[in-house]
Amino acid sequence: MLRLFIHSSAWLSFSGLLLLSGFLLYASWPIFSEQGLYFIAESEWYPYEDLFGMLPALFGSLLSVGVALLIALPLGVAAALFNIEIVPSCLQPWLRLLMELMAGIPSVVYGLMGLWLLVPFLEQQLDLLTGRTLLAAALLLSVMVLPTIMVLSEDALRKVADDQRQRANALGLSWWAVVQRILLPQAWPGIRLATLLSLGRAMGETVAVMLVIGSIDRLPEPLYNLLQPAQSLTSRIGREMGEASVGSPHWSALMSSGLLLMLMSVAVVLLSQRRWFK
Amino acid sequence: MRRLLFILLLSSLSLPTYAAERLRIAGSTTVLPIVAEAAKLYRQLHSGLTLTVSGGGSGVSVASVNRGHIEVGMISRPLTEREQQQLQGRVQVIPIARDAVAIAVSRVVYEHGVTQLTRQQIAAIYRGEITNWREVGGPDSPILVIDKEPSRGTRHVFAKVVLGDEWARAPGASIVTGSNNEGQSAIANSDKAIGMLSTAWLNKQVLAIAIMQNGKAITPSQGNVSAGLYPIQRTLDILLPNNHSETTGAFVEFLRSEQGGDIVRQVGYLPVQ
Repeated sequence: MLRLFIHSSAWLSFSGLLLLSGFLLYASWPIFSEQGLYFIAESEWYPYEDLFGMLPALFGSLLSVGVALLIALPLGVAAALFNIEIVPSCLQPWLRLLMELMAGIPSVVYGLMGLWLLVPFLEQQLDLLTGRTLLAAALLLSVMVLPTIMVLSEDALRKVADDQRQRANALGLSWWAVVQRILLPQAWPGIRLATLLSLGRAMGETVAVMLVIGSIDRLPEPLYNLLQPAQSLTSRIGREMGEASVGSPHWSALMSSGLLLMLMSVAVVLLSQRRWFK
Repeated sequence: MRRLLFILLLSSLSLPTYAAERLRIAGSTTVLPIVAEAAKLYRQLHSGLTLTVSGGGSGVSVASVNRGHIEVGMISRPLTEREQQQLQGRVQVIPIARDAVAIAVSRVVYEHGVTQLTRQQIAAIYRGEITNWREVGGPDSPILVIDKEPSRGTRHVFAKVVLGDEWARAPGASIVTGSNNEGQSAIANSDKAIGMLSTAWLNKQVLAIAIMQNGKAITPSQGNVSAGLYPIQRTLDILLPNNHSETTGAFVEFLRSEQGGDIVRQVGYLPVQ
């Protein structure tokens, strides 16, 4: 019975995945057959003129998530190291509890905090036209994924066997060498998992990003400019899905945004497979 | 064990089919204050009814009524041709109020002297030809041009009157917002913003400027709107499917009653006769 249950669950989730990608492909097919693949690389999104350029949103998604991870990954791993190696052991569970609580806060709460604290702060400190920028989205995402990275990295670091640590100490290795040569390499699979999970969360995050990114379909000028309003794939889907009538080119283009998001995460998962890192 | 699983499965399937008498309303956040206020009263009078009112925008209401996701839609612009084709006369459009789309600016800009603009100036700002408040008599600061999602009724009316076409592009726009609420807070939190807002959403931080027309400054006051002087105005409507239930019909009647008119006035719009 249990066997049957486990088997059927596995098949169910597997076929769910297939069904999902199949549906996304099916739903976005009209736009591909009508416009080819070029529209992905075009930058004008005016659904009412049948222009469905994906580039600004695609670029915004990639850039905001990339910057968010660049900020959150070192901070998260450092926080995990700090909690294990430096904080007195009586305080460790509390710090961890705090992080776990943070990981559980719904994203819309982060979004509202971003809207009321982060956006005005950026606007004043950097003297911007508006604080609703790619940078705001990236910072918000980094705060959102930080607890995930920290909690998972901490688990991974704790699993490094104590006797290895003791041996390293006996050899007279400096603390930094222990971290660099023993702790981090051994904890790498866990840290990698943490990165993947947070990447998924950041890439799919809709509401919080929608509130702070500015939602304008335009490439930043110059391209690396994080201080301008921009668009992400999720924010566009969130803003426009309700109005698009099912089956219309607009709807199909939004579905293809979803498909792109999925392909992006699949690509990331494939790229980060362990065997390519050996 | 197997039977237990089967029963569990069956019961989980049968759950969603249960439904009480309910009335779901969604759409334009311009119409929302009226209907939300009316719903508050109506719920006290009819306790057995589950009445939910939510936003989404005019475009959303048309799509949702068409899909049968809601019983009543709220819309703050005329139906487009494409929408009329979709609905194929299955839905009635019932006016419940009149409203103006105000051109709102941040308080700092208003107090610095930008209290009126011509339609051409507003259009130039949204087209990106005017980018600094100095050019229209304001402070020396760049203009934060707030556009709205293209499906929003407020944007349709604004774009039609000011930019000449209901789907017109606004290349000068800096950011895009959705609901009136979002637009309002974006203007209030900035000291250099311009945006479009339904008059019911104006306040001390978000002030409406007058529109200069033939040498006269016309504010979106109730008098100017009902006299037809203020150029950016529209009716606020309810979308009612022809095959609606009795309860639904009764609520729409309530909106159109004397009492409904009082609510319209109280919220800040003009009732229709």
